[in-house]
Amino acid sequence: MIENSFTNYSKKIVPYLDGSMSQDEVSEFEAYVMTHPELEAQINTKAEEMSLLKSMIPAQSPTYETHDSLESELKQSVFNLLKEDHRTLMNRIQDKWEEFVNR
Amino acid sequence: MTDMKRTDFFQLIQPLTDKLYRFAFAMMPDDLQAEQLVIDSFNAYLIKEKKSILRQDVDLTQKKTLPVIRRKHFKGILQHMITIGLRRSIQLNEQLKISRPDDFKAFYELDPKVRSVLALRFEAQFTVEEIEDMTAMPKYEVIEKIHNGRFLLLNHLNAEATL
Repeated sequence: MIENSFTNYSKKIVPYLDGSMSQDEVSEFEAYVMTHPELEAQINTKAEEMSLLKSMIPAQSPTYETHDSLESELKQSVFNLLKEDHRTLMNRIQDKWEEFVNR
Repeated sequence: MTDMKRTDFFQLIQPLTDKLYRFAFAMMPDDLQAEQLVIDSFNAYLIKEKKSILRQDVDLTQKKTLPVIRRKHFKGILQHMITIGLRRSIQLNEQLKISRPDDFKAFYELDPKVRSVLALRFEAQFTVEEIEDMTAMPKYEVIEKIHNGRFLLLNHLNAEATL
């Protein structure tokens, strides 16, 4: 039984480290770790592994020029594509009807 | 939409520029291709979500709700980026081999789907459930890809260490 719960908590190390646990789960997990130092050692090993893993995934930021050109392209898209269509009265009634039906 | 509203919308998504590029670069390791991928995904998102964006009033003074709205748009754009990026990275696989940075050789040798899931999980910090939504993969497949990717990357590292 005790071994079972230790295994269960060991399985929660990754969610604990990557922040996908809820606040309640975190509190419960941390309370368990306080009384089980051997689990703490496992957490440290896993944390090292995770940071190693993150370092193997590129997080390449754009160069200054690319950043500028990208921003101006996105801005242009917003101004070119986000235009109100010329709507007739019938179109507007249809829109309102769709809105009402899908409410 | 008035010019003012368009300016507000642009201001809302402007802080996402670098994040979008980073994910695009994880899919396509080439500056021009990554930039183009961001532009195309963004355009596809605008065309698809035009109506809802036009109806939405963006209040840039609402500091509490702003990050939530921004994140929603970020996820929407990434959703298109994943679809377009996967197709392109398969089509341009040979061409992209030349531009792969040596530092991330192991990562770029992975299957593009695994790569996208790993980048979403560990670089963009999305939860498994959010990735499930964005990729339209079932949860078990997302978890499987994270595990496989992690295993392959760490194995590569161990193999390098023993050399």
